Amino acid sequence: MEIEEHVMLFITFIAPVFIASIILYLIRALRGPTIPDMVIAVDAISFDIAVFLAVLAVYFKSPILISCVIVLMLWAYALDIYVAKYLESKDMGG
Amino acid sequence: MLYYLLMALSSLLSIPAIYLAVEERDLVKAVIFSAVQSTLYAFLYYLLMAPDIFLTYIPVGVGLYTALILILIKKTERYESD
Amino acid sequence: MISWILVIIGEILIAVGAICDLIAAIGMNRFPNFFVRLHALTVGTIGGAFVPLIGVALLSLGAEFLGVYRFFMAGASIVSAVLLLFLAPVGSHAIARAAHRSKAATVHPKVVDHLEEDRERGVVV
Repeated sequence: MEIEEHVMLFITFIAPVFIASIILYLIRALRGPTIPDMVIAVDAISFDIAVFLAVLAVYFKSPILISCVIVLMLWAYALDIYVAKYLESKDMGG
Repeated sequence: MLYYLLMALSSLLSIPAIYLAVEERDLVKAVIFSAVQSTLYAFLYYLLMAPDIFLTYIPVGVGLYTALILILIKKTERYESD
Repeated sequence: MISWILVIIGEILIAVGAICDLIAAIGMNRFPNFFVRLHALTVGTIGGAFVPLIGVALLSLGAEFLGVYRFFMAGASIVSAVLLLFLAPVGSHAIARAAHRSKAATVHPKVVDHLEEDRERGVVV
């Protein structure tokens, strides 16, 4: 078996696992009881989708698509810092 | 085949996030629902082979919009009244 | 031969990452409160995102059907994996500290919380 055929078959089998975990994280992000629960679920969704994008760039055979991964990771970190700053400033009364 | 399946799944999963973002009374929760919706739409743009729109949609939808609305909520009030 | 070895190692790392992601997603739904769910977030971040990105880098080094740009792909994957290793623990620590200070997340099955008692007595700010 050639390398290309082998890699395509492997990605076809591994993609439903990523999709199932994205759906399970999304359930927690939509019905989490408190705000920090929802924020960490959005974090996990972002990192999971970033890995899935890197795998799909191999599947679509277009390597230029890999540059989206870095951007998604950096801005998911920024959402954490914004919400943490908002919660702490409400505590200190600022 | 995987291509069309992923596009349909990503656009279907963003519908509950949009509905909850419109209906929610707590505005901080509404901002986080909006961030979920932005992430899923950016994934849709990636599948349409438009990585340049992805590179601008993520900073605007997740970064700038969230920061602006959180600063506005801090200056005014958090719960929406009837 | 060397490309087959790189591809097989990359596929094993991606499979390990996918299994870690599924376990973390189940744990995120089953755990009782916020401070226990941070454990599931750590499994999903390091085991489910750092390991498969290294796997994608090795796989794209070995996959010759991608053309010359596969070296760019491997480099971008390694850079984003190292960025994730730095940034994800910082974000989760920041949100955990803010949640404990502002009492936004209540701990329901709680035995003892010494940090909260010390903060009420004024020992720790």
